[in-house]
Amino acid sequence: MRKKIMVRFFTIPEYERECLFLQEQHRQGWKLVSVYFPGIYRFEACEPEEVVYQLDFNEEGRKELHSYVQIFRDCGWEYLFSFMGYTYFRKPVKAMQQEEGIFCDDASRLDMMRRVFKSRMIPLVMLFVLVILPQTFLQASQRDGSLHSFLFYTYVVLFAFYLYIFVRFFLHYRRVSRQ
Amino acid sequence: MDTHIRKVYVPMTETGFYILLCLQQPMHGYGIVQKVRELTEGTILLSPGTMYGSLSKMEKDGLIVLLREEEKRKVYQLTDLGCEVLALEKERIVRLYRNMKEVR
Repeated sequence: MRKKIMVRFFTIPEYERECLFLQEQHRQGWKLVSVYFPGIYRFEACEPEEVVYQLDFNEEGRKELHSYVQIFRDCGWEYLFSFMGYTYFRKPVKAMQQEEGIFCDDASRLDMMRRVFKSRMIPLVMLFVLVILPQTFLQASQRDGSLHSFLFYTYVVLFAFYLYIFVRFFLHYRRVSRQ
Repeated sequence: MDTHIRKVYVPMTETGFYILLCLQQPMHGYGIVQKVRELTEGTILLSPGTMYGSLSKMEKDGLIVLLREEEKRKVYQLTDLGCEVLALEKERIVRLYRNMKEVR
């Protein structure tokens, strides 16, 4: 069986893009087998097929995995695995009568984003406010030696990266809540 | 009924309404999906993520209660509070329907 490994990074609010990426791989004849490190995906060769991939984020569900997965199975979704808090599901388009996802209304899509926000974004915001923000300014005020310069640039990069994640999350949240 | 319940469930989503409507009888999540598909002649297909999330939220808010588990499927039913919320929502929908007929 042919296998391949791909590296792709998706920031916290980009789980929808991740699903589209996995769907595209399946369309090209590569089905997802596992994610074994954040951003490292393992695929196996398969018949090219239109398959919808979906991610849920539900801590409660992972605690009682049997009954959680059962309702997805009953609805025709294959449970793949859980990774870093996310649960991966897929369902072939040919098994659907209409366009389908694991959520059918915006209220529940928003609920999922809130769960992601609570357990993922809040720690990031804390880290940002307590460490990265003060350190960026501290390093900026002490730039004399090369070590400080290095630290300064590291923090500037982190600063920009965090801002990027926050802005993306905010925009995504606003888009869903406005619909 | 406290303000949190009112704020979240009055008015409620279509999904929420169908769940409460079905859970006047003991039923599991997938049973509700099937029942709603039947009732709406396939127009409304509830999704498992939405169903699971709604059921656990409603259980936490005391609208429904877990009766038992049948082959990994959790069977729920309405509580008194759930009945009260459903009655309120039915009233609202009846009013909506009446007004739709009257105002032209």
